[in-house]
Amino acid sequence: MRLVLDLRKVSSHSERRRLASEADQHGIWGTVVTGPPGAECVEAAAIAAVTSNLSIIVDVDGDAAHPTTLAEEVAVLDQISRRRAALIFRGQTTTKLSVVALLSGLSSNGVILSPPPAQTSVPVFAPEDMPEVDLEGDLQNSAAIIDQYRDANTPFLIVSWDRPIKELARHLVGRAASPDFPQMVADLADEIDPIE
Amino acid sequence: MFCATRTPLRGPHCVMDMGIGLWCLQSTATNPRSFEQAYQELVEDARLAENNGIHSLWLSEHHAYYDGYCPALLPAASAALAATEHLEVGTGVLLLPLHEPNRVANAVNLLDAQSQGRFHLGVGMGYRPIEFTMKDELISNRLQLMNSGLDALQTTVSAPTWVGVSSEKAARRAGRRGLGLFISGAFSRDVVNGLIAAHRTEWETSGSPGGTPPPIGLLRNLWIVDTETERRKALEWVRSSYLVYAGLGWGADKTGVDFVSQIEASMDEVERSAKVGSAEEIAEDLDGYDVDLVVCRVGYDQPPRTALVEVIERIGQELLPLVQELGVQR
Repeated sequence: MRLVLDLRKVSSHSERRRLASEADQHGIWGTVVTGPPGAECVEAAAIAAVTSNLSIIVDVDGDAAHPTTLAEEVAVLDQISRRRAALIFRGQTTTKLSVVALLSGLSSNGVILSPPPAQTSVPVFAPEDMPEVDLEGDLQNSAAIIDQYRDANTPFLIVSWDRPIKELARHLVGRAASPDFPQMVADLADEIDPIE
Repeated sequence: MFCATRTPLRGPHCVMDMGIGLWCLQSTATNPRSFEQAYQELVEDARLAENNGIHSLWLSEHHAYYDGYCPALLPAASAALAATEHLEVGTGVLLLPLHEPNRVANAVNLLDAQSQGRFHLGVGMGYRPIEFTMKDELISNRLQLMNSGLDALQTTVSAPTWVGVSSEKAARRAGRRGLGLFISGAFSRDVVNGLIAAHRTEWETSGSPGGTPPPIGLLRNLWIVDTETERRKALEWVRSSYLVYAGLGWGADKTGVDFVSQIEASMDEVERSAKVGSAEEIAEDLDGYDVDLVVCRVGYDQPPRTALVEVIERIGQELLPLVQELGVQR
């Protein structure tokens, strides 16, 4: 299971950039961002410019835009981010099918994106594909939540996190990836290299 | 309320600003490259421009063209702004009738806030029928869409707003609204002066909306060279770059430039209006224009990367000080 840091509720742009940079530096798999309709990919592109490894999932209102316009914005984001873009699509199924086709390099209603996405196909998720949890309790409680979703074979988990990003990376990324996560190694790391 | 510019660019003691353009992020038949490389180079070029004191970098938009001409300028602008601290970034131009105005307003306001006021919104109407068809619009409605789009932006956008024009009629419309003018690089000096006069007169007779004369931005085809051989090569780059417009089907009205039906004659016209020479020669030429901002059109598809980097450096280090000195003297 891969963890996705939720930046949608962080109101300060500079704070979103700081958190994204730390997540990038500490090996968090991805982040989810949004914005007012039309500004979602603007926000995502700013995050892409200050990160190198983080997957950037854009949560969009698919009904507020022409599907071609939306797909063009995501394709450009995928080029800017060097294949790190993905989409959470909220909207009508017909619009979603069109966006999915366009972001796979296929024709939709006679239109083919140019440029195409950098990836073979930009992943397009429904909101229900990515459960969300608030990990604001203690570490032990957060670990139990992670175990529960991982054991249920959840591929991605969006997490809200208000403690140091390095702590999320140290204690929960490995746990999300493996049922054999050696907690004692993370605990020992806290003693050797305490997280401020 | 629209603002044509955050602060007046030009006053009695002010000088012309120098920008670079147009970054189109293409992979053309004349110079194929990867799109990822093009977008990475946009960020690198933005940093390079900033480090050389250049005022702004301008992007350009088209849709569904074979070469990937950038269809989504606002995310691209966001990346360039996020990678820099002082450089201003503008759209030259965003094709407003092809977008939902409320989405544009939301994106522009976020860019404006994120960049501490370094974003400029330039808008135009568009002219390719296929681009309107793919957005389920009729090209015959483009003026109506443009006007309703500007009406919507007027109450919602705070970033400096410019209008790209290719006719005096369009220049007058921009003047009436108190919006800045962004003039194409292919026009002769007479055409440019005609557009500026039409814009200013209409602004004045419309009650001077905004109170301050809206700024004039001028795109100019130019390249700094030292030898005749370099000059000839640069002129070929300028000429061949307009093959893109021929392919796009651009035929500007009543300007002497029609890339659709008279490609060779039009490219000759472009060559005549281009300024390729020493920094001193170019500065003297630019000093003859009554404009606030010159956008040096150097984003051609043919020059090797080393040549582009060199000309950006020379614009900042050689041309900019000369232009500013002449402005102060004037």
